[in-house]
Amino acid sequence: MHRYRFVLYRPLQFLPVLLGISIITFVLVRLIPGDPARVLLGSRATPAAIANIRAQYGLDEPLWVQYFYFIGNLGQGEMGKSILYKIDVLRLIATRLEPTLALVLSSVAQSILIAVPLAALAARHRTRLPDHAVRIVSTLGIGFPPFWLALMLIILFSVRLGIFPVSGYGGSLTDKLYHLALPSLTVALSLSAVLTRSLRAAMVQALESDVATAARARGMPESIVFWRHVLPNSLVPTVNLLAVNIGWLIGGTVVVESVFALPGLGQLLVRAIFSRDYMVVQGVAMVFACATVLVNFLADIITVALDPRVKL
Amino acid sequence: MSAPLLCVHDLTVAVQDGAGPRVLLDRISLDLGAGDVLGLVGESGSGKSLLCRALIRLLPSPKLRITGGAVFLEGRDLVTADEREMLKVRGGEIGMIFQNPTSHLDPVMRVGDQIAEGIRYHQGLSQRAARAAAVEILAQVGFADPNRQYNGYPHEFSGGMRQRAMIGVALSSNPKILIADEPTTALDVTIQAQILRLLLDIRDRRGLTVILISHDLGVVAQTCDRIAVMRNGELVEQGDKRSLLAAPQHPYTKALIESHPSMPGEGVATAAIAQPAPALRPLLEIDDLHVRFPSGAGLFAAGPKTISAVKGVSLRIMPGETVGIVGESGSGKSTLARAILGLAPLSSGHISFDGADLGQNRAKALQKLRSEAAMVFQDPFNALNPRLTIGEMVAEVLRVHGKAVADIPARIGELLDLVGLEREFADRKPRSMSGGQCQRAGIARALAVEPRMIIADECVAALDVTIQAQIIDLFRALTARMSLTLLFIAHDLAIVRNLCERVVVMYRGEIVEEGRCADVFARPQHAYTASLIRAIPDIDPDKPLRADLLSPSVAETGSGRVSDQPSAAFNW
Repeated sequence: MHRYRFVLYRPLQFLPVLLGISIITFVLVRLIPGDPARVLLGSRATPAAIANIRAQYGLDEPLWVQYFYFIGNLGQGEMGKSILYKIDVLRLIATRLEPTLALVLSSVAQSILIAVPLAALAARHRTRLPDHAVRIVSTLGIGFPPFWLALMLIILFSVRLGIFPVSGYGGSLTDKLYHLALPSLTVALSLSAVLTRSLRAAMVQALESDVATAARARGMPESIVFWRHVLPNSLVPTVNLLAVNIGWLIGGTVVVESVFALPGLGQLLVRAIFSRDYMVVQGVAMVFACATVLVNFLADIITVALDPRVKL
Repeated sequence: MSAPLLCVHDLTVAVQDGAGPRVLLDRISLDLGAGDVLGLVGESGSGKSLLCRALIRLLPSPKLRITGGAVFLEGRDLVTADEREMLKVRGGEIGMIFQNPTSHLDPVMRVGDQIAEGIRYHQGLSQRAARAAAVEILAQVGFADPNRQYNGYPHEFSGGMRQRAMIGVALSSNPKILIADEPTTALDVTIQAQILRLLLDIRDRRGLTVILISHDLGVVAQTCDRIAVMRNGELVEQGDKRSLLAAPQHPYTKALIESHPSMPGEGVATAAIAQPAPALRPLLEIDDLHVRFPSGAGLFAAGPKTISAVKGVSLRIMPGETVGIVGESGSGKSTLARAILGLAPLSSGHISFDGADLGQNRAKALQKLRSEAAMVFQDPFNALNPRLTIGEMVAEVLRVHGKAVADIPARIGELLDLVGLEREFADRKPRSMSGGQCQRAGIARALAVEPRMIIADECVAALDVTIQAQIIDLFRALTARMSLTLLFIAHDLAIVRNLCERVVVMYRGEIVEEGRCADVFARPQHAYTASLIRAIPDIDPDKPLRADLLSPSVAETGSGRVSDQPSAAFNW
């Protein structure tokens, strides 16, 4: 089991990564022109009132002092208080986490369910009609931007057919899933296009590999050759591609959540940026960063499980 | 011979591409009796592998078709049999062993499971029974601890053990005929001898019929009853082994027999010519060289582990000498070559090239080495940049070494003449060249710097015997004409014997023996050298092959894990 030993010490390597991210987000947020106090109080605020708010949130301190407050708070599991919402950033994030998490998970699940059969179909009928169809569709899927796809889906399913709601988020579990259907399909269509192409390429290669030839030479029917030898040998590159894309997806929820008015982290982030709500921007960025790091960590574990040759 | 088990009659395979059908196998006919061992020889591209793939109708490309003839297996014609029938024939009646077990074994599946798969499918056994049968087969093919090794993955085994596993996989469906396609080409001589012994052993035990494909007449002479010679898709000659070797009819068979390296070459003659005048000082001096690599040291690994690839090697090479370095894979011979060129770390000891010490004055020594020494690599295709023409590639080297631009085209022409390539090759890319032509181009590139020393690392291992002989001749001519110093690394002792004056035998990072070629091969002093020499398959069938029990690779039959290098593990 020593191949899995990295699970124990790899998290230690996350610390410097997250520290770096915290510095970058901290600085970048403050480089955006504008002042949270001025945004909060409006254009007719007196200089004294603005100074008062700035002092209240520690914005009058030197930048490095502010950073150490931020890091000190993080160490104690605090992220400060939102200037706009006036509540704890961590609590704010907790209330917005669920829709985003549900969106990401359901779209990843859907994209895998779409990509694996399509890639298998294309690879097994290489350079024939199914393959051409899958390749054209997946190229289109990569080409169409998600916001456009989202609008088209809304027009078709919500406006014309009236099957799914146009926007918003539900209360009960079924209602939530009902509201998530279109947003997650939007993301899944884009994501599965990327996955299908990668998986198809890996499968085409594996179908022509010596491993497949050897299996055929000992009389294995094509179905066993495919499911037992070709598929396991083509998953690894796609798992890593998926991990990279989930990282991108977590940031990309911003667009989809905006289009579908889902009350998730992406939407929160956009609003926080507009109102220069430094604490919230920092907090959400850190959550996104942690999630990306975590997803890649999971991908590493899956890779090690799938391929006995890999040592980490 | 009893009634033939397999009867191939006028089998013809053609490729269907743009220009119309082209015949790749031309009316092949041969009979195979039960229990026969047939050797199929010929150079690459002669169609010997294709013939075997055609027998089980597993052609490498959908563009290939069997256009005529018949293959009768116990009376049934396999050419017209339906696909369901063929699934039973493949594996169940005709099993295959491939040249490269590393690429043909499934890397993500346990070795035992790969054997059990065939058992379950062809014999319909339960999972438990299949496992027991697979363990039994693992033991038969020489796994010392089959119960434990069942759970190993291919990359955890050495090349020899992987080939044993591959044989096990082929045996799993209990075939009557075993086709072995170059089963030992990728292996060291000593391991090759063990694998061939194993094949014959299994043949006897299971009453198998074997078709052994090889480019090496020695291997075939040692193992087969009958030999069939193929060339350009035709079967040019077949017959009983002894009569065919003693009295070959076809000129190609004669050429094959003559170019076999176990025949005494004229290598001895060059030794007298190239004997250097009492040299003033050695061109290359290696003194107590150690090369160690860190291995598997993680962030929290207990203490730094190292692998010693070269342990205390001392060697002196005089200008103009031709020295062969032999040893099996993992013996440190390639590491030594890389260390000499400054490509591997020097852990301790000295290397000095023409007086410049690589340890003390690295920059100066490297500069000297880069302009006065050159390397020729094993794989001619991969060592050439596929995007550059041969001319561009050589010009690049010339430019780096400060040749005036105007003189470059003329120099390229000279270099191509020197290595025996037509001048038009300057405009060709490696893709459109054969292996032998690529290797000549690689040598031309090495000669571009006008080196005093060339290090050739297994540079003929990937080539056909006849091409091998040509490249060896080229080296011989070049060293004589340009008074080059040649360090020739090979695992093939016969080639070294033909080419070199002096031979150095390496074993596990150390030099165990060195001396004049003639002396070492006639009277080896070290047991390891002796076992290496005995393992060379001789073309004379009456000089039996000896797979010594005192094998250099104890690990081969022991734990199953080679002690030398961590094999194809990806370190991420």
